[in-house]
Amino acid sequence: MASQRNVEPERIIEKEHVIQDGMDISGHWNRMFEQRVIWDFTPELLEKVGAVEGGESLEGCYQCAQCIPACPVNTVGDYGPRRIYRRVQTGMDLFESPDLWQCTTCMNCLRVCPKEVDMMKIMPAVRQEALLAGNVPPELQEVFENTLEYGNPMGESPKKRAAWAKKAADDVPLMKDKKTADLLWFVECYPSYHPRGVDASVALARVLKVLDIDYGILGQEEKCSCDSQRLAGESGLFEEMAEHNLKMFKRYKVRKVMVTDPHALNAFRKEYPALGGKFETIHYTTLLAPRMSELAMKNDLGIKVTFHDPCYLGRHNGEYEAPRDMLKAIPGVDLIEMGRCREQSYCCGGGGGGMWLDGFMSGHVSMRLSEERVTEAVETGADVLAVCCPYEVSRFEDAVKSTGNEGKLVVKDIIELVTESMGSAQ
Amino acid sequence: MPEAVNPERNPENPILIIGGGPAGLEAAKGIAELGYKAVIVEKANVLGGTPILSSYAALTPDFRSAEDAMGEMIAAVQRPEVDIHLGSQVTAVSGQAGAFDLTVTSAVDGPTQVQAGAAIIATGFQHFDPGRETQQYGYYEHDDVITLVDLERMLKAEQVVRPSNGEPPKRLCFIQCVGSRDRQIGNEYCSKVCCGVAAKESIEVRKLLPDCKVFIFYIDMRMYGYWENEIYWPSQEKYKVNYVKGIATEIVKKGDHLIVRGEDTTMGRPMEVPMDIVVLSVGMEPSEGTKQMAAMFGAEVNKYKFIETVGGALNTVQTSVEGVLACGAATGPADIEDSISSASAAAMKAIAVVRKTAMGVS
Repeated sequence: MASQRNVEPERIIEKEHVIQDGMDISGHWNRMFEQRVIWDFTPELLEKVGAVEGGESLEGCYQCAQCIPACPVNTVGDYGPRRIYRRVQTGMDLFESPDLWQCTTCMNCLRVCPKEVDMMKIMPAVRQEALLAGNVPPELQEVFENTLEYGNPMGESPKKRAAWAKKAADDVPLMKDKKTADLLWFVECYPSYHPRGVDASVALARVLKVLDIDYGILGQEEKCSCDSQRLAGESGLFEEMAEHNLKMFKRYKVRKVMVTDPHALNAFRKEYPALGGKFETIHYTTLLAPRMSELAMKNDLGIKVTFHDPCYLGRHNGEYEAPRDMLKAIPGVDLIEMGRCREQSYCCGGGGGGMWLDGFMSGHVSMRLSEERVTEAVETGADVLAVCCPYEVSRFEDAVKSTGNEGKLVVKDIIELVTESMGSAQ
Repeated sequence: MPEAVNPERNPENPILIIGGGPAGLEAAKGIAELGYKAVIVEKANVLGGTPILSSYAALTPDFRSAEDAMGEMIAAVQRPEVDIHLGSQVTAVSGQAGAFDLTVTSAVDGPTQVQAGAAIIATGFQHFDPGRETQQYGYYEHDDVITLVDLERMLKAEQVVRPSNGEPPKRLCFIQCVGSRDRQIGNEYCSKVCCGVAAKESIEVRKLLPDCKVFIFYIDMRMYGYWENEIYWPSQEKYKVNYVKGIATEIVKKGDHLIVRGEDTTMGRPMEVPMDIVVLSVGMEPSEGTKQMAAMFGAEVNKYKFIETVGGALNTVQTSVEGVLACGAATGPADIEDSISSASAAAMKAIAVVRKTAMGVS
């Protein structure tokens, strides 16, 4: 939304010639100003948000503005809960506004909000209404359709979901063959299909084998956890995917699930229980951090590493230490923190649907959030930006290129650094 | 060591309380409960003070009926230890701590001589008159510009309508800090209660008129302590009152509406908002009684003419005259809770004066 000035250029009317009763009375007085709108406080629009289940807390904003510096979108744009509140209060219909789609649900605003204005509830609730009205950015609509049809947002073939495992040195056991296992590894979409995600999956499979962990994957029987689509407003799609995944979990009597994707972690911990899912979920870093000493990591990597806390692992689910413990256990890793880390961590821009809205967002931000973050990582002097969320490898690698930092910084999943230190598999 | 004297045997030494509002009533009750005698001198013909005389509907922050709450306080002083002079004023004073000689003059019965060991001034405040020094908001020009007090009266009658045409308002706003925090007016202080009262009244208006949009234009909302979550937050979260930072500069009439002109400071842009009723959140000034009693007892006042307390933060009720205490809004803006608290403190210190006199110690 453009800043509202007293006189907008388009509201200045100037006629070249003014003819009145056949007489040309042109002159500098031809310039006129349209009267500004005076009826511009619209409690109705705030109440409209508050009337949606989940949207209520927006009405509690008292304009302290702590959310604004915390909002990662505002760093590169003009955004944040306080501003959304004021814009709605002064005439913006959130249901039809571009402001509806910029939030990445990173939760940094809620962390600092004294009134508990909860964008993690407001955004999905209002977005759902917008979806029902057919008001959704086309690139996001495509992702919803892909997810529904193929079980993944990219529209990849569901039959190829376990194809990555062929690249692994060891067998990656399928639950349909094993029937039972101590641990179900929920691989998720990007680690299954995206080339760089596959690299991390291959590395993780190797480490699980070395540690002799009894696990299995669902392969073709797995569908997207869909948490980001849920936060983007598609709760119906989320429930449909969840129903399928829960059926699989029940089929194999799954008690414990390991995820590579913090978004899946969030869905399984916070949303699945209400749908009947009773099982324990753990992120791979939490599982592996206490067992790093069991790995023969012989190569001294001799690198400076900085770590990006994923929003959905850190702020949303409270895990800050495990990724760091893993990094510190790798020989030759010198961990340097970025200024914005842990609870205050910046957002890669991928959450809440942002993963699929880069085209839309380009009209609203000066640079991508991932580019802002990569710039911060480069400033630390680190050689490697370590990540442990599958959205991030692709987002940050693109950002390294677009910010001209190729050769200065590489992006790696933590598990890739582990296997690098372990050396080539025999 | 002097021999202790039972204060109950000193009927000539009651404690004089000037003012029968919340503070005066609480002081009298406390004194009586401790077995001492009190004399209340109240100018009006009824007890209860401003909440009754100004027809308050409900008290802030608990929405208790003002009549009900004051009724309870009035009932508590109906006891033999308390002598009540209604329609009366203190017209002369002499003597000193422990032995004041006073003339109490009744409008009906004329003067009476009263002796007192100590005096408590509980003469309270008066509402700021929004037309007193400036016509900025047109209180006396526009029928639909009213004050918190006027709205309180309407709420008590459960009939909130535009004075100009008798119709219920569709849009009503409060303008905060009228007569407070203003060097030009001479009231640099914050009146403490107006934010809470406006929020309370905004809730009452929304309850009474669910279709009426309510706005509060403010500089900063001063909802100290529990008022924050007791009235401010519910007014916004539950009753959908709109808070806009930036008080209006002026009110102009346009057709059937009042246009509130100001700046919306969080958006950094001008605002011209039509309203049906504008409520001025007027603050507190010392009452005439407070100014008169301060002069009569020779108690120092501050630059705003509220009675000065001389103990700093450690004694909030001692005036510059020994044996004379002050409490409630006579010493500065105070809500009812504050007034009740300071009244108890004044009662305790007044009793100490009387008791020390009786015991012959200083």
